Amino acid sequence: MQNEVQDQMCSTFMEVVEKLAFMFGEVVPKDEVDSPDIPFTLASMSFDGDVKGLLSVAVPTEMTAEIAANILGLEPEDIGSEDMMNDALAEMLNVVCGHVIMALVGTGANFKLDSPLTCPVDKMTYDHMVKSDEFVGLLLDDSPVFLGLKLEN
Amino acid sequence: MALNILLVDDSATVRAVISKALTLAGVDINELHQAGNGQEALDVLEAQWIDMIFCDISMPVMDGEEFVQAMNDRGMIETIPVVIVSSAGSEPRVARLKENGVSDFIQKPFTPERIREVVDQVMGAAHNAE
Repeated sequence: MQNEVQDQMCSTFMEVVEKLAFMFGEVVPKDEVDSPDIPFTLASMSFDGDVKGLLSVAVPTEMTAEIAANILGLEPEDIGSEDMMNDALAEMLNVVCGHVIMALVGTGANFKLDSPLTCPVDKMTYDHMVKSDEFVGLLLDDSPVFLGLKLEN
Repeated sequence: MALNILLVDDSATVRAVISKALTLAGVDINELHQAGNGQEALDVLEAQWIDMIFCDISMPVMDGEEFVQAMNDRGMIETIPVVIVSSAGSEPRVARLKENGVSDFIQKPFTPERIREVVDQVMGAAHNAE
């Protein structure tokens, strides 16, 4: 992936997450976020139109409660279910995705977002995130995060 | 005038955030109804009096654009204001939605102040009257 596109993706991600979830991120070398022993949750969503591709974010599973709490204005202990946590992570990605696409191709772009999906990260997916140039590493409130963009056109 | 508001979004998180933003914005709410997609929203409209709708675009079963078209087909769009709340706010889409009768568009993420501004604009000052 071109550095320019990755830079745009990362800066847009950080801007949106700061506004939406009051969390602060910084891009770091991927070896600084390599944490094979902690469970991650992956959210991904595809988009189609003037630009087509897949945007993904993986965060430590224990962080999803904090993300949900921040978005909803609650305390993490008030987030009762895994569904709430996954739904909040999916919504965060949904908002990021719209902004990333418009940042990359402009506000005049025609595009359609599919519904985001979430799942636990298995070893094969984790290894892909660490090795693939499609993914970059970030620290979000000091927690490791992988952010990936695959463009098809 | 206290409003009967319908929130249409497949994400429970978004419905909760809009609900909280409406409260923080001081919007006088009589009843708050929720639907997970356009079809469920049409079912609510058949059964309840609704003053205003906040609706997402990307949803399963019936998305926001299909819902707006269905409201047009039923002649509802002239009497029940629909505000689209989405992250997919490209200019062509927003223009198309407004041509189809949508009252306004709110880009995510949003603030309670933005919600208030849109409610005031769409409903006028009447909803604030005691």
